[in-house]
Amino acid sequence: MTKSVAIYTTPTCVWCKATKEFFAENKVSYTEYNVAGDQAKVQEMVQKSGQMGVPVIVISDENGKEEVVVGFNKPRLKELLEIKS
Amino acid sequence: MFDLIIIGGSAAGVAAAIYAKRRNLNFSLLSTDIGGEVATSGEIENYLGFPKTDGIELAQKFKEQLKYNNIQHQEVRVEKVEKGEGFFTIKGKQNGSAVELQTKTVLVATGVHPRELSVPGEKDFRNKGVSYCTVCDGPVFKDKVTATIGGGNSGMESVLMLAEIASKCYLLQRGDTLKGDEVLAQKVMSHPKITVIFNANTKEIFGEIFVKGLRYEDTKTGEAHELAVDGVFVHIGMLPNADFIDWVEKNEFGEIKVDTLCRTNVPGVFTAGDVTDVPYKQITIAAGQGTCAALAAVDYLNRN
Repeated sequence: MTKSVAIYTTPTCVWCKATKEFFAENKVSYTEYNVAGDQAKVQEMVQKSGQMGVPVIVISDENGKEEVVVGFNKPRLKELLEIKS
Repeated sequence: MFDLIIIGGSAAGVAAAIYAKRRNLNFSLLSTDIGGEVATSGEIENYLGFPKTDGIELAQKFKEQLKYNNIQHQEVRVEKVEKGEGFFTIKGKQNGSAVELQTKTVLVATGVHPRELSVPGEKDFRNKGVSYCTVCDGPVFKDKVTATIGGGNSGMESVLMLAEIASKCYLLQRGDTLKGDEVLAQKVMSHPKITVIFNANTKEIFGEIFVKGLRYEDTKTGEAHELAVDGVFVHIGMLPNADFIDWVEKNEFGEIKVDTLCRTNVPGVFTAGDVTDVPYKQITIAAGQGTCAALAAVDYLNRN
């Protein structure tokens, strides 16, 4: 099942960087939304996650069902992306 | 049985790991991350060798140096350290599973975590307008109104960063002067977007789904005031991460007491960095203590 991955980040956020490194290591392709100064994207992120902290990762399956992960939650990301290590 | 286990992966732990590696110790570096509070520090202009850098860059340098020395840290969250007969047992979790390691010496380099205000609304609005990391969360507040609580270096750096992003920034300080570097204080006091409120004791953070404002009390007059803000950044000091080891001598703040050789009161247990009772919490000091602790551990291992 192919899932699409989006991550909401800010340029100065350490855990955003860690999440992207984790994606790179596991060859996960993703779309990044830099919410710094982008009010529309901030609102979108806040709506999906119910909070304002970054990173927020949204994993959608082919039916459009979304799973939202707040913060660099490695075990949850591995589970949702079916990454074994 | 390890020769040495280092708990904590920022300046102190990483410095110790490098020395331990170069002395061929059988050691492990346990940390959930590399960089700790340094990584979320924003601008750093006083770390030796780096005229101007920031927390993310410096943490990256720590990682590079570990890699250069072929040191792979273990992502273990340590929950307890126990004392045995001539050795110590470290208990923790790695990837959700319980792990246990035994070692002849331990170095506690676990640093600190942000102190909370302990006011109503603080927990409810965490990540909904309340943050302890301006570097991480500041950018989300473009053109909004923010309040930074705390007038030390951390608070001043926070409000200066927010002044570049937000439309209006407050800095609330409990006392009647700003603490920390004069250079920062001058910038803060003269910035057109920053209003500093002295003698302000934050009493409550309120809002609906997200923060709408805070209430503070004037410590001199007792008067209550309200500020309409979208974000509250708390920078009021740090508490030591030492709950997992309760049989070493600590001071009244919970910091582990350390001597000039970075030893605790228990032979074989060393400590370095912000978690110790060293009065000055600086990255260069942590690195120096990490080095000292590693060498003291080598000495101890040679004699025992």
